[in-house]
Amino acid sequence: MRLLVLVLTLMPVVVASANDADVELQVKPILCITDEVTPSCDMSFLVHWQSEQSGYYCLFNDFGREPLRCWSDERMGELEDDRNVQESFSYWMSEEGGASRLATVTVEVLRMDTDDRRRRRRTRHVWDLL
Amino acid sequence: MDSARMLLACLLLTLAPQIGQADEPDAEESRWQLGIALGYGIRTNPLVLSDEIPIAVDLDIAWFGDRFFFDNGDVGFTFADNDYVTASVVGRFNSDRVFFGKTDTEFVTAGLDGTTLPIATLLEIPDRDYAGEMGIELLAGGRWGRLQLTAHHDVSGTHDGYEVHADYGRGFRRQRWYVEPSIGLSYKSAALNDYYWGVRSGEASPALPEYEAGAGVNVHARFMLGYQMTRNWRFALVAEAERLNDEAFASPIVVDRTVYGYFAGFGYRF
Repeated sequence: MRLLVLVLTLMPVVVASANDADVELQVKPILCITDEVTPSCDMSFLVHWQSEQSGYYCLFNDFGREPLRCWSDERMGELEDDRNVQESFSYWMSEEGGASRLATVTVEVLRMDTDDRRRRRRTRHVWDLL
Repeated sequence: MDSARMLLACLLLTLAPQIGQADEPDAEESRWQLGIALGYGIRTNPLVLSDEIPIAVDLDIAWFGDRFFFDNGDVGFTFADNDYVTASVVGRFNSDRVFFGKTDTEFVTAGLDGTTLPIATLLEIPDRDYAGEMGIELLAGGRWGRLQLTAHHDVSGTHDGYEVHADYGRGFRRQRWYVEPSIGLSYKSAALNDYYWGVRSGEASPALPEYEAGAGVNVHARFMLGYQMTRNWRFALVAEAERLNDEAFASPIVVDRTVYGYFAGFGYRF
């Protein structure tokens, strides 16, 4: 039971860290689940980053070329991003200019419905959990 | 049986990623549906002198072609599929046999009808075979839930009976959480009921009276709770109860009216 609680607590958070630059990026939640009733997710993403070195850092995502926000001479920052999601996308941190990604986190969209009506409509077998 | 399932699970773990990878480039939905769940559960056994059926591994192996499909032991051919109904011819094995694989043999001093025996007598629950059945399956579904109606007849010459089954279920999702309650009825013909739950004259003994079962209706309910942890992993809890029909419960080899089951475990979908 303790293991289950631990797993359930930790799973929704993903932390990304760049290999060379010490920037950690944390996004919560990182999974959007859609089905035929709910084809998209209205989600509020909490994005948190921190670095060992102060500097000029910008947060980007796949939806635009402009940064969501930039921080000057900061070692950490946080942003809440409300978004309607239908496809997987990424958040990433970059230094000034946005040439290289220091840390990236991907928000995954998991589609639970299917185009095959048989799969949707068939009763699960007695012990079929999946 | 358990070791065979374990072996199959290992084989599945080895092969399945290759199947998934092959389908990724064109982003089409894979025709395969493969999964494995590991956990703990039991299913009670309504037979006298029987053991509960432990469940540690649950496999999900299915393939859906344009017309033909295989779904965890069911083999089907779909001849109609539209917004209102999906109709298929389906072959399967009857599930009532599963209880007869976990029975014991004992010397008893009282018969199953309550009479005291003059000497200890060997009581053996008669064995039963799996029946191969063919039938029609009608499926419907929408925001209101899903409905499955089936009618299957024995084609293996095992019990020569038939079963008509109806099941309604509806799933509710709130992001990672998913619950799905379902209820259903199964009408079992006299021939089917008597084959599994009856005691024939050749099987009867002072400890085991002869019994002929008529037709009856089983009622079942199921509840599933799932939590999607990652794209592939989920935690699931399933509880189920099936109330046997009057004719089956009146059999001398049946001691429990209701079959209960539960399973809790972690599932991986490839």
